Order: sequence, then C-alpha cells, then structure tokens
Amino acid sequence: MLSTGFRALGIEEIRGVLGEPEGPSLQKITDHLDENCLRFLAHSPFATLATADRDGTCDCSPRGDYPGFVRAIDDRTVVIPDRLGNKIADSMRNIVDNGHAALLCFVPGMTETLRINGTAIVTDDPTLLRALEQDHTVPDLAIVLRIEQVYLHCGRALLRGGLWDAEMQDLATQVPTSGQIWASTSGWDPEIGDVIDEAMSGAYRALY
Amino acid sequence: MRTRTGLLPLVVREITRETPDILSIRLAHPDGSPLPAWQPGAHVDLQLITRHERQYSLCGDPADTTSYRIAVRREQLSRGGSHYIHTFLRTGNIVWVRPPRNLFALGDAPAHLLLAAGIGVTPILAMARHLASTGGDWRMIVAARTRADVAFADEIAALGDRARVHVSGEDGRLDLAAVLAGIAPGTDVYACGPAAFTDALLALAPTLPEGSGIHLERFEPRRRAFGPTTAFTATAARSGVTVEVPAERSLRETLQGAGVPVEGSCLRGVCGSCAVPVLDGAVEHRDSLTTDEDSRVIYTCVSRAAPGSALVLDV
Repeated sequence: MLSTGFRALGIEEIRGVLGEPEGPSLQKITDHLDENCLRFLAHSPFATLATADRDGTCDCSPRGDYPGFVRAIDDRTVVIPDRLGNKIADSMRNIVDNGHAALLCFVPGMTETLRINGTAIVTDDPTLLRALEQDHTVPDLAIVLRIEQVYLHCGRALLRGGLWDAEMQDLATQVPTSGQIWASTSGWDPEIGDVIDEAMSGAYRALY
Repeated sequence: MRTRTGLLPLVVREITRETPDILSIRLAHPDGSPLPAWQPGAHVDLQLITRHERQYSLCGDPADTTSYRIAVRREQLSRGGSHYIHTFLRTGNIVWVRPPRNLFALGDAPAHLLLAAGIGVTPILAMARHLASTGGDWRMIVAARTRADVAFADEIAALGDRARVHVSGEDGRLDLAAVLAGIAPGTDVYACGPAAFTDALLALAPTLPEGSGIHLERFEPRRRAFGPTTAFTATAARSGVTVEVPAERSLRETLQGAGVPVEGSCLRGVCGSCAVPVLDGAVEHRDSLTTDEDSRVIYTCVSRAAPGSALVLDV
C-alpha cells in the first residue's frame, strides 16, 4: 500500500461519499463508434494515448495531427499514424507488452471529450500506412486499436478549466520554456536553455 | 498545419450524387458576389475545415460567375479529403478555395480530341462545352467502367454526336491506339484520368501525326526513379536569403522555414502552386508537370537541384 501520510479509502467508502452513478451516465457507454462519434473523430486534431507495461505501470502521451488523424476504419477499429517524435517509443513498447490502451480525444472549442478504450497492436501494413500519408510523408508504423468501450465524457472538466478560453493562454507566459526546464533538470547554465529553445524552434519546423 | 492566407471562404450550396462514387458540389460566395473568372481546364485548391487540401478541376460553366462546380470521387484509400467530403460535408458548410489556376488550358489547334476516364471527365467536360459553343472541330470520348459510373451522362448526351461514352464493362477496354490512329494531322489531344490511362496515352505519343500534341492532366504523380536525394544550396535572390536544403526536406519547406514566400498545395508535384522561376543552376525536375527538361521553372515541393549544382531562384 502506498504511504502518503493520508488515509487511503476503499471503493465502498468512496461510493459512500459519491453515491451511485445515475442511469443515463451508464447508458451512454457503447462498444462501437456511431455516426456522432465518427463525426467527432473526423474533427479531432488531438488526443492523449494511455498505455501500460506488463506490470501495469502507466504512461500517457499526446498525439496530434490533421483533424481526423485518429482514423476509424470501421465502427470498432481506429488507427493512429506514428509521426516524427523522440523515438523513445514508450507507448509502442507498452502496447507490445500489454495491449490495453485508452484514447481521450479533443475537438478545439468543444468541452466534451471522446473516450475510447480497447486493445491495440502496432503494425507496418503498407496498404494501411499509405492511406495515412500526410504532407507527402507516409508513416513507418501505425497503432491499430480494437474498440471495447466508447463514450462521450461530459464537459465540466474543460469548462471549469477554461481550456479553450483565449484569455487563458497568458498562463503559458509564466511557465518555463522547454529549454529552461531541460537545462535545469540537467544542471546546466540557464543560457544553455536558450540555445536549446532555439534549436527546438528549428526542429519544430519539421513535423512530418 | 496549412494556413488559409489567399484562400476564399466559399459556401457549399448544393451536393449532388452523380454516380455511386462521385458527388458534384456547387460552391458560391456567401453573399453571392462574383467569383474569379476561369477557363476550361482550370482547377482550384480546396481546403476543408480539417485543413486537408486537394485539387479539383472546375466542371461547371465558366459563364456562370456566381458559382463553381467540382466533382469528387470517393477514393478507396482516401488520405482524408475525399472521405471527409463524402461522409461529413453538408450544404451550408464553408470550404476555402484558392482562385483557379490553369495548367491544362485549351490551345488554338484546328482540331481537338478530348479523352477522359472516370473522374477525369471534369476538366474535359468543361472543354467540350466550350468547343461546342465556339463551333470548332472536336470530338470527346468519356470512358467509364459501367454505365452507372458515367458522371454527367445527361450533359455529355446534350453535347450531341461529337461526344460519346465508352463503357469498358460492356465494350471492352478503350483501344487508345485505334483512337489516336484515326486523328487528322494538327489535332491536339487533351486527356485526363487515372495514371494507367494517362501513362498509356503518353506511351502512344510517338504515333501521333505531324503537328499533333498530347496535353495531360494527372491526379497522381508520375512514377519514376531518381538518383539519391542529396543536400544542395539554394539562393532566393529577391528575398536575399541563402539556404542549405537537407536531403530529408523539400526545397519548398526549407524556403518557407527561412521566411521566403512560396505557396504549395498538393505537395506531390502535380498542382503547380509552388512554382518558382529559376535564374541560375541545373534543375532535376521530379514533378509531373514539366514536359521540357530544360524548363526554367521549378516546382519546389518535389524538384531539386541537379547533383552537384546550386540554384538561384527569382523569389
């Protein structure tokens, strides 16, 4: 049991605090993508992908591309192209070890999110990869997710957080840049952070 | 992500099913104002709300200044554009359109033979309608797999005896060699269709009579092999910028990254939007538009400097 100094609750105690879920909340969970879910995905340029290794240790990573990049190939299967990244391949290594995977898909301006849970594999099928070409780049790999659960998550979290409010964007001015964070965790001079930031802005021009 | 600079927001006024796989779409200015003029053979770059951008030939009437008509085939292996249009696009939606460009314009030959296969009917139909109205010597053949796959069949029929439909499922594959063998000297051939069709025509080009030429519009890049892709230096003379183009990036991307204004739409060397004049240096033309290897225009999305050469560009 994790020791934090706080009392850890069991599910009965948690239920005692929250009460039972209401009927309609459970009814909206389905096992396939209906027309509305397909339309949601076709307009979604961003998702987070959660995976876990053999022991269940979790990892969650951002995925973004042209809207519709989480491509439904039928109502129970979606495909996600693997684009240029850091090549650490945490998510893909996890998928190989433990196929369970979950997606949380976002549409800019929309507070509801689409949750898709299922089992994934990594493939290099050439026909599939060709259909995932973007900006004349064909991905080398793709993740195929067989859907087990789909549901639209209510918008309260994004509403409370004001995620899509233009005025909220000034928050980023108060957060260190990636170069500053990198220099600090590596114990380098802050000036090296500026060099890293400049190199990153160059690297960010090549997205595919 | 693509920008919308220089693109006109147009509203989808009408979506019509022409065949099981083809929709025609009528676009207009939201307030009904006139649209930029065009000539038969012209195409537009059309960008969807998803930022997917594709090229479509205009297939309506150039005299209609208030709307454009395009036709979109559902691709089996859609990269996103045709699938979105067929599944999610609705009347009333906005799409973004770059003013028409014409890389497939009719010349003034004494006679014209117009050939289309499948969705290739779009620019060819506009050409036929134009030639029918000016009373020149012309013929058109539209090939399709089945009768149900012939888009705009009524409009083709209305053009009279000079226009005919060839249904390969009923009459066998269109014998292009026989079609070309029958043309009079000086006839220009205009053709549009899938790669197998345009490639077959190109292979027959040497059999054409004196004074005849073939003009092709392709949807897909010509498949050709090139030597290794290497880095080279390019100078944008008017911008006063010199860049090193690495092997893994295109000239267009590299110039854009350095703040040099270059457009780009198909990014596959078929649409022509990224053309830049060349002032100095040898070009390896890897696009599917250039017919003269000595051309001093470079399509920067795919073409590069010839091995060992550097380029100076008028941009």
